Amino acid sequence: MRHHPAYFGAAALLLATSATVSPASAHHGWAGQEEQVTALTGTVVEGVSMSGPHATMKIKSGNDIWDLTLAPPARAARAGLKEGLIPVGATVTVRGNRNSDRGRHEMKTIYIKQGNAEYHVYPDRE
Amino acid sequence: MIAHFLIWLEASPLGVFTRSLGVWSYGIINLVHILGIVMLFGAILLLDLRLLGLWRSVPLAALSRPTVTLAMVGFVVAVASGIPMLAVKAGDYSDNPFLLIKFPAIALALVNVWLLHRSKAWKAHRGRALVPHERRRLALGASLSLAFWLTAITSGRMIGYW
Repeated sequence: MRHHPAYFGAAALLLATSATVSPASAHHGWAGQEEQVTALTGTVVEGVSMSGPHATMKIKSGNDIWDLTLAPPARAARAGLKEGLIPVGATVTVRGNRNSDRGRHEMKTIYIKQGNAEYHVYPDRE
Repeated sequence: MIAHFLIWLEASPLGVFTRSLGVWSYGIINLVHILGIVMLFGAILLLDLRLLGLWRSVPLAALSRPTVTLAMVGFVVAVASGIPMLAVKAGDYSDNPFLLIKFPAIALALVNVWLLHRSKAWKAHRGRALVPHERRRLALGASLSLAFWLTAITSGRMIGYW
């Protein structure tokens, strides 16, 4: 088999590119979030949705409606979440990393507490 | 208008049905979409590079039949999985600029392939060797094809990062 130098060049370039993608930025969910964890308390405006690339819910805290981005649906389900489990109007406390754009009320959610029920969506980030 | 269409699509029976399919459904539809793109772009890349002058020892007529068939199958798979994937939460994408790059790029790619297949050079390639200006016509089509499909794929991938 004859190896062309260009093939090695292309392979080296691919390796170099993949090596510079760190685990933190590899997942598009977290790259645009603040480093520190923020806690919020509010009432549920839209219950947990388990469809799409990530589970989601919406809460109202103060005068702001927050988009809560949860884990991919299968992981959110393993954390104990289900559609309809947390009713609209319920008071919840959540922790997560808010969008680094302070004008956007969006949070990648690590943990949800409603009454005595706790949902550890990303225990390794707590 | 696009926002209205996306909201309608999300509320449509297709959106309702796709959302009801369980926690793995999005991942699986996403997988099918990627497989469609692999077939589509893999075949296109092979044919376009041949039209641009690589692998001259492979007869063009021998390469064009399987690659065009595979690209067509891949395109159908990508569309059939792409529409439900969008319908799941179509409203979320109403302010996503990459959507506005992706779909025009696909439209241009389809116009380009339509024009290419209508050209005298393409119609002649199965029956005889091409003359230089015919090869240049096909090479131009191949360049445009790579540019449009790469734009579509890149902006499609970036939709999730907006």
